[in-house]
Amino acid sequence: MPSLSGKVNETVEDQRPEIQGVNSSIYDFRYETHASFETDAGLTPEIVEQISKEKNDPDWMREFRLKSLEIYQKTPVPNWGPPLDGLNMDQIITYVRPDTPMRGKWSEVPDDIKNTFERLGIPDAEQKSLAGVGAQYDSEVVYHNVKDEVARQGVIYTDMESALRGPYADLVKEKFMHLVPPTDHKFAALHGAVWSGGSFVYVPAGVHVDIPLQSYFRLNAAGAGQFEHTLIIVEPGAYLHFIEGCSAPKYNVANLHAGCVELYVGKGARLRYSTIENWSKNMYNLNTKRALVEDDGIMEWVSGSFGSHISYLYPMTILKGNNSHMDFTGITFAGKTQALDTGAKVVHNGKNTSSHISTKSISKDGGICVYRSEVIIGKDAIGAKSSVNCDSLMLDSKSRSDTIPAMDVRNADSDVGHEAKIGRISDEAIFYLMSRGLSEEDARAMIVSGFAEPVAKELPLEYAVEMNNLIKLEMDGSTF
Amino acid sequence: MGEQNILKVNPLPTLTWNHLMLNFANMPLEEKAQVKADIPAEFNGIETGMGGEFVSYVESHAGSVQLIRAGKGEDLGVIRDDNAGASAEVILIDAAEDSRVTFYSHVSGTKANGTQATRLVKVIAAARAQVTVIQSQTAGNDTMIGDDFGAIIGDEAGVHLIQVQLGGKAAFAGGCAALKGYKAGFTEETIYFGDESRRLDFSYVTRHTGKKTTTSMLASGALFGNSDKVYRGSMAFIHGCSRSKGREAENVLLFSPTARNRSIPLILCDEEDVDGQHAASIGKINKELMYYLQSRGLTESQARQLAVESRFNPVIDEIPDEAVRQEIHAYLERRMNLD
Repeated sequence: MPSLSGKVNETVEDQRPEIQGVNSSIYDFRYETHASFETDAGLTPEIVEQISKEKNDPDWMREFRLKSLEIYQKTPVPNWGPPLDGLNMDQIITYVRPDTPMRGKWSEVPDDIKNTFERLGIPDAEQKSLAGVGAQYDSEVVYHNVKDEVARQGVIYTDMESALRGPYADLVKEKFMHLVPPTDHKFAALHGAVWSGGSFVYVPAGVHVDIPLQSYFRLNAAGAGQFEHTLIIVEPGAYLHFIEGCSAPKYNVANLHAGCVELYVGKGARLRYSTIENWSKNMYNLNTKRALVEDDGIMEWVSGSFGSHISYLYPMTILKGNNSHMDFTGITFAGKTQALDTGAKVVHNGKNTSSHISTKSISKDGGICVYRSEVIIGKDAIGAKSSVNCDSLMLDSKSRSDTIPAMDVRNADSDVGHEAKIGRISDEAIFYLMSRGLSEEDARAMIVSGFAEPVAKELPLEYAVEMNNLIKLEMDGSTF
Repeated sequence: MGEQNILKVNPLPTLTWNHLMLNFANMPLEEKAQVKADIPAEFNGIETGMGGEFVSYVESHAGSVQLIRAGKGEDLGVIRDDNAGASAEVILIDAAEDSRVTFYSHVSGTKANGTQATRLVKVIAAARAQVTVIQSQTAGNDTMIGDDFGAIIGDEAGVHLIQVQLGGKAAFAGGCAALKGYKAGFTEETIYFGDESRRLDFSYVTRHTGKKTTTSMLASGALFGNSDKVYRGSMAFIHGCSRSKGREAENVLLFSPTARNRSIPLILCDEEDVDGQHAASIGKINKELMYYLQSRGLTESQARQLAVESRFNPVIDEIPDEAVRQEIHAYLERRMNLD
């Protein structure tokens, strides 16, 4: 099983040493950083120039980075959302290059990095159920491989740096930060200035990639930022399932993740983008994801947010083509010290477009969940339909859960529906399960797993099991 | 119109993306010589839906206040607002324990004095008091409307707010209920009608602090022409308000390709033991319903009018004045008769 934890058969206590009083978790292991190069902390034109030089950028990219930095410096920090006071960009190292070039075989990857990914279960997953894997360690991709049969179909799956200089260089130049321009918000501008690593995927017209590709992002260095860029182009009639995973060890200083994902879904194409995010709880996760969907195209998001100290994450879909469709299924679980502000955005521009957003959020032990969304039905989106459903579960009165959905409808021939519910686990349900022999803790865990089931069923089986394990770990010791 | 004040009104209780332009609204009001009303201390600090800038404007321009005091156990019946249509008016209702009062105010196109009519109603409902406030308007196309409301609700008291917003160049309205008492209850019903280039902007907030408090907020609207509407409805469950419940729903019918509807229903919750739900439905009128009504001999315009009035009538019927109810029906018929 491609376990992200690599330890799913162990007992909860084995997996959660902090239950025994040790502050650690299954994702919280680290190796000493052996960087071959890292910038000074902070953000200056000199640092951006230095990153560009180290990465041997083409001229246009160097200029793009510097322009983005200017935009970053002029753009205010958001005045909404969880507080970002603890994030001091003067203390963030924006580029850390691991001491290895990118490899195509795990045996060639240095032991400490290889061990990291083995503990996360990535090589095992690659063998059993993935068509290709990219693994990023700090600022660079250290391993990339795609199965021969997928490559033979013409599928390109490579790191962004290779794509920037390879046969698809013109395409990358045309699409890079086109959907998410640096002017979008402050951290998009930051990404434009210091981005490094990430994946480029190109699926030719009509090609159906039967098993998923996966990229895994691991941030090992303390006080560093990770700014990977993912660009996926699915040509007309093609299909791809792309899985993204991320984690980091916990440090006492703030780490920052400001990645960017741009997805192009061609006519009649379908793209499923699944994420299980479990950043460490010192992480500021300020990520931007956006998809553009052409006629008859389908975009499906499956998003699980479990980690990070602060998250701002709202995958956005632009339904440009007629009859295009978007599905968003998300779950957010906020525990102690976490404020996870998540949701989705959709813009309907094409005729007869449709979207469905379904989210679940669980807050516990002082955690804060915010569901935030926007649904925009454009003037020309005749026949558009959108439905939004969000359920929030509060597991104690120390926690908080807010729902902030916005709808903007600009034509009369459309239908938009929204429903939201907030509440607790009913005493009757707990009582019933306990009367059937379950402990209170198990009864609560079972009800929460049931609450999350609509999300789990959208994931490949192995990842659904992993998500349930994460929920079980988070729920552990949650009787009150 | 002379000099204008641009007030920041209808603030959202928590901010969201600025580009949506929903965090607050800008409301232009006339800059006039201030004639400050004398507000009894117990009414200071009551939060309203439209917010502090609007309250400050109305209180500093109203000149005087209508103070309605219902003594312990007293039933004042229906009190009609004879000053409705004034540029700025303040109504304060102090309902003692077990008292009962209904306050009713209607601004029609002929009653609005000049180019703006603003009303501020503040309510203190003591234990078991029952207070109903009805603010309706069918103002002309040149009138700026501002209708604000705030209440503090005590143990087992009930406050019912009805706002009927059908006319005006622009109508800004809001309400806020502080449910402080045990089993305090608040219900709010709003109907709105937009046509031509009318701007409608609403903000309702309930803050549950008492245990077993209940809220019901229902809004129903119809948008024609180039009308542009924003509805903010927020329920806040504050730590300690265990066993509280809130329901909020909005239904909007869109009849014009150039009308715009924005809705943002919020639930803010830091109490586990509550039950909060909201729902919104925005869209076109059911085609089967229109077909059926037309097959029974109604014109398209009549069918539309029937569909809208069937949603509005339960609220209109609560207005305790037959003449005003007739006036409202005639107004809607005139406005919707597009044949």
